[in-house]
This record gives sequence, C-alpha cells and structure tokens, in this order.
Amino acid sequence: MSDNRELNIIHLYPDLLNLYGDRGNIACMQKRLNWRGIGANVSTCTNSDHSINLEAADIIFVGGGSDREQELVCGLLLKKKQELVDYVEGGGVLVAVCGGYQLLGKYYQTASSKIEGLGILDIYTDAGDDRLIGNVVLQSELFDQKIVGFENHAGRTFIGSHTPLGKVVYGRGNTGDSGYEGVVYKNVVATYLHGPLLPKNPMLCDYILGCAMKKKYEDFTGFEPLNDELENVANKYIEDRFAGEK
Amino acid sequence: MRKILAVWAAKLSAIAGRMIGKKSSSTPGTIALKICPNLIRILAKNVEKGIIVTCGTNGKTTTNNLLNTALLKCGYTTVCNTLGANMVNGIATAFAMACDLKGQFSADYAVLEIDEASARRVFEHLKPNYMIITNLFRDQLDRYGEIDITVDLLNQAIDMAGDVKLILNGDDPLTAQFGDGRNAKYFGISEQVLPQIDETKEGQFCLKCGHEQKYNYFHYSQLGDYYCPSCGNARPHIDFDATDISLSGAMKFKVNKTVDIDVNYRGFYNIYNILAVYSALSVMGIETGGFNRALAEYKPQIGRMELIDLGKPVILNLAKNPAGFNQAIQTVMLDKRRKDVIVAINDLANDGRDVSWLWDVDFDKLYDENLNTLTTTGIRLYDISLRFKYADVKVDYITKNMKEAIKRCLSTKAEVCYILVNYTALYPTQNTMLEIKRELENGGVENV
Repeated sequence: MSDNRELNIIHLYPDLLNLYGDRGNIACMQKRLNWRGIGANVSTCTNSDHSINLEAADIIFVGGGSDREQELVCGLLLKKKQELVDYVEGGGVLVAVCGGYQLLGKYYQTASSKIEGLGILDIYTDAGDDRLIGNVVLQSELFDQKIVGFENHAGRTFIGSHTPLGKVVYGRGNTGDSGYEGVVYKNVVATYLHGPLLPKNPMLCDYILGCAMKKKYEDFTGFEPLNDELENVANKYIEDRFAGEK
Repeated sequence: MRKILAVWAAKLSAIAGRMIGKKSSSTPGTIALKICPNLIRILAKNVEKGIIVTCGTNGKTTTNNLLNTALLKCGYTTVCNTLGANMVNGIATAFAMACDLKGQFSADYAVLEIDEASARRVFEHLKPNYMIITNLFRDQLDRYGEIDITVDLLNQAIDMAGDVKLILNGDDPLTAQFGDGRNAKYFGISEQVLPQIDETKEGQFCLKCGHEQKYNYFHYSQLGDYYCPSCGNARPHIDFDATDISLSGAMKFKVNKTVDIDVNYRGFYNIYNILAVYSALSVMGIETGGFNRALAEYKPQIGRMELIDLGKPVILNLAKNPAGFNQAIQTVMLDKRRKDVIVAINDLANDGRDVSWLWDVDFDKLYDENLNTLTTTGIRLYDISLRFKYADVKVDYITKNMKEAIKRCLSTKAEVCYILVNYTALYPTQNTMLEIKRELENGGVENV
C-alpha cells in the first residue's frame, strides 16, 4: 500500500522561528516516512517567500523563536488567519512548538505589549516573572510511552477546557503549576517541549504522521513498526533519570 | 586587614584544592569575597596602565590568554584569569593569587575574560579601559534565555564601564552593534575563504529594520561581509583586517596588507582570536613587532585542538555550541588522514542542561570516505547517537566508557583520532588521555 504515497510537510518561517533546533522535528518526520517507503515533501514558508499553498499541506509545523522574531511571525501569519483556521477545523495536522504554541492562542501578553494570536485554540498566554526551564516528562493519553523533552518559556498558557497533551510527571508545564502540558485539539499538537521533541518520542511522531496519513488516505490502517531501539532507550533514559522510582 | 585575611584564605583554599586534585579556580575567590567584599575594587586600583576585558561566546579564553602572553613578552606585568574562571568569583581568585602574602599587589595590566552574563556584576567592582567582544552565538540557552537577553546584558555592562574603548568583531552584526555611538574599533576577515555552506545563522535579520540581511560573502554562522538592502545597515569600516589567508599547513595571513602572521594553529576561527589580540595591542599603543614570537610561544589551553601522542596522534577539542561544533567539524574534515572520531556530550550545569542545540549542528558534514569509526559517549550519549542516526551518519560504537573508546581507536588502522567534547567532558577526557599515555610509557601495564 506504500506505492507513491507521500505527505507534504510545510515548515512555517524556519528562517524566523528556529531557536532550539526545531529542524530536528522536520528531519524526524521526514525520515520516519522515508524509512517506510512513504515520500515526504518538505517545503518552507519564509520571510522572502510567503507563497505557501495550505490546500496541499498534510502537516504544518511552526517552531519557536525569540520574542522579537515571534512578533514578526505573528504579524505575517495574521494575514493567513482564516486559511489556517479552516485548515485546522477541516482536520489538517498542525504541530506547534514553544513560541508557535503561544501563537495559536488568542493573545500573548508580555510585560510591555499584547501580541494578538491566531485564535485557533481557545487559550491565552501571560508572561510570568521567571522562565520555566528544564527537562520534562509527560504521561499522555494517546499512548503508553512517556513524552520527554525540554521546556524553556516565560509564558504561562491557560488552556481553558482544551485537552492537554499530557499530565506533567516531571517539569513545569503550561503554567508552572497546573499539572498539565500542551494541547491536543482535533489534529493539532501544541507543546512547550521544544527543539528535538520528536526524535526521542517515536510514538508521538508516528501519532502525528498517522493523523496525516488517515486524513489523506482512507485505506490507511497504520504504520509498520520501525527499529526504534535507540529512540526508545533515549526516551527511557530521560524518564528514568527524572521521573524514575525515587 | 580584611584584605590580607581574604588573600590568605584564598591562597589556602587554592592549595587545599590542589591537594585534593580539584581544579576549581572560582572557590578561592568565593571565600575571599566573603571575607572582603571589596577585594577586587581595592586591588584593581593597583593596576597601573589599564584593564582589558574579553567577552563573547567563543574564543574568549584563547583571545584573553594570547593577549596576556603578548603583554608578558613585551615585559609588562599582568594579572590574568588564565584558567578561564570568568564570573565574579573567578576574577577575585585571579587578583588574590597575584598578591604576595602581605596582600600587596601591583601589575601593569589586568587581562580578564568575563562571562557575558556576569559582566555587569564584575563592572560593579572594576571599570575596564578596553573591552574586546569576540562574537555572539547561541550558547547554553537555558542559562541565558535568548541571545537578545545577552545583548541587553552587554549593553548595560558597556554603559556601566563608561569611557571604555571597544574592540569589536566587525564581521558579526550582533557584536558590531555595540559600537554604535561608542568609541569602537573593528576587526574582520576581508576576503572569502571558506566554501559558502548553509548553516544555522543567528540574527539573519537586520538588527535595525528587521529586513532580511544579505552577504557579499560569509565565513561561518552569521559572520561575514553583511549588509541590509533595505535600510543600508552594513558591516562597519574594518580597522584591522585579515587578507591573503592560507590554511593549508601552517596558518598564514596578513593584517592590513602589511603585517605577516605565520603560526602553527589549527582552525579558521583562530584568525579572529589573533586579529582581536593584534587589534587590542594596537589600540593600547603597544608595539606589535614581536607578535609572531608571542604567538609561537603561546601554549593553547587544554582542549583547543590539543594534540597528545598516544602512539598515534589523538586530538582533543572542546566545542560548546553549534558555531563551535561546526567549526570543529570543519577543522576535522580538512584533515584528510583516515580518522576515528569520538563525540562526547554532557548536560551538566556548565554545559547547559538543554541539549537541543545538537540539532543545530551540521553533524551530517562529519561523514566522508576518510571517517574510519565513529563513537558516541558522555551523559547524553543516546541523544547524540540519535542525532547522528537522523543525519544518516552511522555510529559504530555507543559507550559510557571514554577510556575504552580511546583504546579501541588506538588499535584501528586509522592514522589519527579526534575527540570532540563539550565542557564538563573536557577535563575527564584529558585525564583519561594522559592516563593512557602513562600506561603506554610503563609498557602498557594497567595502572589500576
């Protein structure tokens, strides 16, 4: 069934939002598709070429950046607001990390200004006094494997009645004390876990890729497993080190 | 009286530290400052000719120590934090160690490298006359937050310093901006030297107007001859430039088309370190005639492409961030001998707890037909192994044991072994190398 199948991945503004090695997530999605004989076309929407075709997108990825760069991207994406809302409501897959996560909400209130968000999620973010920094271990309801990563954010994100990505087993999460991290909404996965999130979380990566495959190919029933020995050891190492038996 | 007590306590602490084999060079200063909080301020008054500080993400230690060597060579006396402890406590250690037992101290120059985030705190104690800024790259993001924060901290520090002469890397837009409206001289590399590869750039957008910045040529990361097509902001006039660069064999170049530099250093980035020192000496009005001799006598710090002969050459290099690692990889790949490579990644506080930066390093470039084996190790051995897996570079060995890794490389048919490590892996790795060296000298008998 893998004949000529392919997914179109669009990386939004990697030239502006690529603070913490976000490209690792793109590489991970691409490789895990290729290893299964599925094509992956990665295209970028950049500050010098805004002509993305959301119609053809199967996965949209938006990463994190400094406040200055994030504000620039916000201004650019507001022009595509309705397109993006339609994409998400229609079941399009969107992965948003760190600053990208904050962008999906109604606004991000910094100490000095209020940055208007895309309003795709019914959430908002206030700047906190200090940055929440450190390793994170989450338990998601999507699968058994823990989600592990690293957070570094000043924003406190209030997700209202949205479903979180996971329960915080170790680390700080959305607000520092809510006990939850990220948001899962339709086919949107939004999280503060930045940078190389997907390589160490093969279950999460395959969940995201699976959502896109299901939407595009009606007869898609699931992926064949890959040799994830190294991925799983790397994941388990973080779980054991930070959330192991005390 | 407090001063003498503080100096004694610091000296005793340093001796005690050495006895138990600790190389910490900040603890003595911590103790001294507890006893005499004004210690640096009091002692800095005895610096007669000037205080020169060096800040910047990469190249601080080399630049600072090279400058110190050059000043000593000219017959000046100095106080210098050569060991690289570069926060307030480390500075206090350097001053306390330079005192005699009566707490007396004098020097012509203080030559200090200072951590970017600590500059403000250090400048509460002393005001520099000259300040070198080498570059700003992504580094230990979980400590500094974002690079914009580092820029703010340095701007505040420079303002505190008042009447300071800046010596800035003019090829780095992030660094050059500190010279705006201030007393500054710039150094830079004024010709295209390296292939124009696409790697992660910090600050590719004009700092003045936010428009995308362009380059006539660039060297690595965001360094190069940049300009903004929109607002006209551009690389400043370069006061000290390097041209006629040759990197095959010994490193050769000319400063301002006239002064020949000829040294046996590795690594393109060392051109910047040498230029920074040359510029500083010129700005300070010091004769640069014997500069090549000073360069030849300078002993590189531990782990700066440090060569140790273990029957075959084994070269240890410290790289702490994407820019440093990309440069290290480039230097390794310029060596066409058949080679084994070991990469060790730790995530302790001094490394930065966040290893996300590994994904900003172009590890795919480490592979070519001359790569014999690749070994990964360190606390985050699985993260670095995964990084290689997704860069399509085969990892031959994953091990927690550095000694085992080095020994295996010594027995292969490769001609040279490179070990790339981040900060906290540096000293343990060097110790392991020296341990193996001793074993070899003792006829290969295990010295357990």
